[in-house]
Amino acid sequence: MNLHKLSLRLRPAVTQKFRCLSIQSSGQELEAVAAETPSVEPNLLSVFRTSEQDPTCHSETHSGQYYTLPPTHIQKLFPHGLPPRFQMQVRTFNEGCVMVRPAALELISYLKKADYSKPPLRYILYGETGSGKSLSLCHTLHYCYTQGWLILHVPDAHLWVKNCKEMLPSTYNPSRFDQPVQATQWLKSFKITNEHFLSKIKTTRRYVWTKRESTEEGRPLGELVDQGVNRMKSSSDVVGAVLRELRLQAGAATEGEEVFKLAVAVDGVNALWGNTTLKKEDRTMCEPEELTLIHNLRKMMKTDWRGGAILTALSQTGSLFKPRSAYLPSELLGEDGFDQMEPFVPVCVSGYNEKEFESCYLYYLDRNWLQHPHSRSEEGKKELIFLSNRNPSILERLCAFL
Amino acid sequence: MAASVSHPALSSLYKINCNINGISGLISFSRKISVSSVLSTSAVTAKREAAGKGVRGQMKSRRPAGEPRAERMAVDQDWTAVYPTAASFKPSAVPLPVRMGYPVNRGVPPAKHGNLELIKIPNFLHLTPVAIKKHCEALKPFLTEWPSALDSAEKCTEHFPIQVQSKDFVSSGMSLRNPDARIVTLKVKLSSLNLDDHARKKMIKLAEKRYCKETDTLTIITDSCPLRQQNYDYAMYLLTVLYHESWKSEAWEEEKTRADMEEYEWQDSPSQRNILETLKGIRGTEETQELLDQPEVQEYRNSVTQMKNHGETEENLLRYKEAVKKLLQL
Repeated sequence: MNLHKLSLRLRPAVTQKFRCLSIQSSGQELEAVAAETPSVEPNLLSVFRTSEQDPTCHSETHSGQYYTLPPTHIQKLFPHGLPPRFQMQVRTFNEGCVMVRPAALELISYLKKADYSKPPLRYILYGETGSGKSLSLCHTLHYCYTQGWLILHVPDAHLWVKNCKEMLPSTYNPSRFDQPVQATQWLKSFKITNEHFLSKIKTTRRYVWTKRESTEEGRPLGELVDQGVNRMKSSSDVVGAVLRELRLQAGAATEGEEVFKLAVAVDGVNALWGNTTLKKEDRTMCEPEELTLIHNLRKMMKTDWRGGAILTALSQTGSLFKPRSAYLPSELLGEDGFDQMEPFVPVCVSGYNEKEFESCYLYYLDRNWLQHPHSRSEEGKKELIFLSNRNPSILERLCAFL
Repeated sequence: MAASVSHPALSSLYKINCNINGISGLISFSRKISVSSVLSTSAVTAKREAAGKGVRGQMKSRRPAGEPRAERMAVDQDWTAVYPTAASFKPSAVPLPVRMGYPVNRGVPPAKHGNLELIKIPNFLHLTPVAIKKHCEALKPFLTEWPSALDSAEKCTEHFPIQVQSKDFVSSGMSLRNPDARIVTLKVKLSSLNLDDHARKKMIKLAEKRYCKETDTLTIITDSCPLRQQNYDYAMYLLTVLYHESWKSEAWEEEKTRADMEEYEWQDSPSQRNILETLKGIRGTEETQELLDQPEVQEYRNSVTQMKNHGETEENLLRYKEAVKKLLQL
């Protein structure tokens, strides 16, 4: 009921913004129009919102301000990629606003400086639970998308090591296990995100799926992906094949097509080296190495290819058998994971600082999310600071009650 | 009311009165307030006479108490004569105005006279510095001189690295013996023993819990033999065996794996392999040794070793980040 009233109240404000946004995404000459919007509404708006929608141009000056993700981009880039609570927020507020934060800015600066003829560099976002690692990763991915990279996004690797109802022994390698449901889901998202690449990239060798089905050499990648989506049984192997193709072709120019850059983004990368809760038929625990999807993803983490970057974020929330207070890389990755991910650039994501907290608070006020009269006062703000300890996710959950 | 309250007392008094004085007038006591005052005075006389009648012999020899000894004490008196041995607190013998106990409402702690709290607690009035000096003087004929060359603790540990401790117990009871007296504790610092790297690591592995890393001390506690002499011999034997065994190298020690290592070694570790591969990938062909000699690689090595040996902390991680950034030229 409340949400309904909220959306009614928001609709007039939102339609105005939407108009600006739709103009925005079509061309640069209308940036002037966008620049008008801050001046139309009171100064308060410009404090926590930035008109700069292109992540390429985000810099320190925009730190702490919200920028809007164009809805077309959200649909294409993040069909399942955004953290669930953020997705709910996007649906409620009818817009996806992401805060520009120093961690993401740092990552983007590294990406700008890196040399893409060399092997990829590994970046690990770490921080306490709820400090904004997944969203910073999404922000960076948006930058990669606007730059025209090929995005390989695994929203949460933990989903692949637990709660899998169906597990089939792999056809390719009998000692490994397939997860058809997860593989098909991922392939569908991959298809939506990278539509325009699928016809350009060609396979380099022949893949035989069953006696009657095979994919010839030189066929577009789209066909491979369709094969996986339609035939669930071989979908995990298709994932492996897709990853292999991308690895081989990322840095190299192929037959007159321009070089594309590959962004491998894995959230919850510590799942690749942790424990699983999946059991084999003889009731023994499955090692992550024995799952095809994990095995193939681990190969992507190695730096034996060129022309891209590996962006990862740790996550304690979904991790199995790890203490709640663990957030440093070696704690969550374990010895094995640390050895394999080395050398990496650790990027720390901390809670909100004062300015960022201000922006978040003003944003919620602007969206009329804080209904309680006390929350609009100074004292209420101090209470919020105290209760949430400036942790973004806790603040979001608190405000949901208000 | 007063009469009714003191009714049982009155009845006993009445009986006494009847017995002793044979006053029959008191049988009929009227319920008047004056009765209680009459009765109280008669009670006092009755009590005195009753006590006198019952224990007359002891009462005769009782002298009134004189002034307490503390009043007549000189300032420079010999205190060891007042308290030669451990004795309970005697308020008359201790000239200090000590107060002890929980104060009553809006009062002060009770004074020392008749204070059970002071008597209950152990006191060290028999162990004043003067008394201890006297003890030392008395013990001197039984002692030898301390060697003059050993005038500091460092010299003592340098010349006598092994410390042997044992306890002696004195008690008066049915038996003088105490089984805990047989326990012998032997402490030695490993830095004072002649051990090379392998021997030191092996000794620490053999000693397990008996070795303390912070103080670098090996502690051997023996209590398996019934006599102290035997336990001491056993402790020395254990030390000798540990020392000699740690110098020997067995054939199966060659199979020591990375997991058995006490601390992290960067040489030939997966970390070293990774960084060399990455650098080769970035910079093309360069000699392994040259790569390893570069200062950035050294810094990276230090940061990784520190992280693995001392645990990961925010500062360690920042150092690692800086090292990686320098290496990868970000």
